[in-house]
Amino acid sequence: MEADTIRGLLEAAFPEATTLSVEDRTGGGDHFQVTVVSPDFEGLPLLDQHRRVNDALAAPLGDGSIHELRIKTKGTA
Amino acid sequence: MKPLNEQISDVITHEPVAVFMKGTPQMVMCGNSHRALQALHAAGAPITTVDILPDPRIRQELAQISGWPTIPQVFVKGELIGGADITEELLESGELQQRLDESLGADRPQDVKVVALELA
Repeated sequence: MEADTIRGLLEAAFPEATTLSVEDRTGGGDHFQVTVVSPDFEGLPLLDQHRRVNDALAAPLGDGSIHELRIKTKGTA
Repeated sequence: MKPLNEQISDVITHEPVAVFMKGTPQMVMCGNSHRALQALHAAGAPITTVDILPDPRIRQELAQISGWPTIPQVFVKGELIGGADITEELLESGELQQRLDESLGADRPQDVKVVALELA
């Protein structure tokens, strides 16, 4: 899976994100580090912030095309 | 034999800190599982692990229960804390230790234990 595909899914889910990056950690297309800074996360517990990211990536997580996902999220305030 | 989902719920409910991971503390099979264990160790947590690798149904049933799609999953007193990233972040901010102190006491045991689920 291409990092750009993941970025597209995240951009669709977090259109107001001020930072959005996807790094293919191994170059193999299945270990990703994603970072999202967005007003969507303001006031949300970390668990729920990550839940939102997991929801956005439910399809590739569900079919196994993402083998390992690292998530970093932050509100914008 | 209890159904798998009940066995999983029992571990989540009854163990002070439950970690569903790939492998065991002696033989960790995934970097994120390793990171979660390290963070819990650093926070002085007792740790009960369940290896999800022996049967894909463990992971499916667990996801149904927790609503969390990835492994590892860390629970404290029955409550989902998150995966490796959250556990690490909470360690760094001091919240993990605080949460453990509040739910298990400051002089908690720090035993490591492995639970094997019964598979039909």
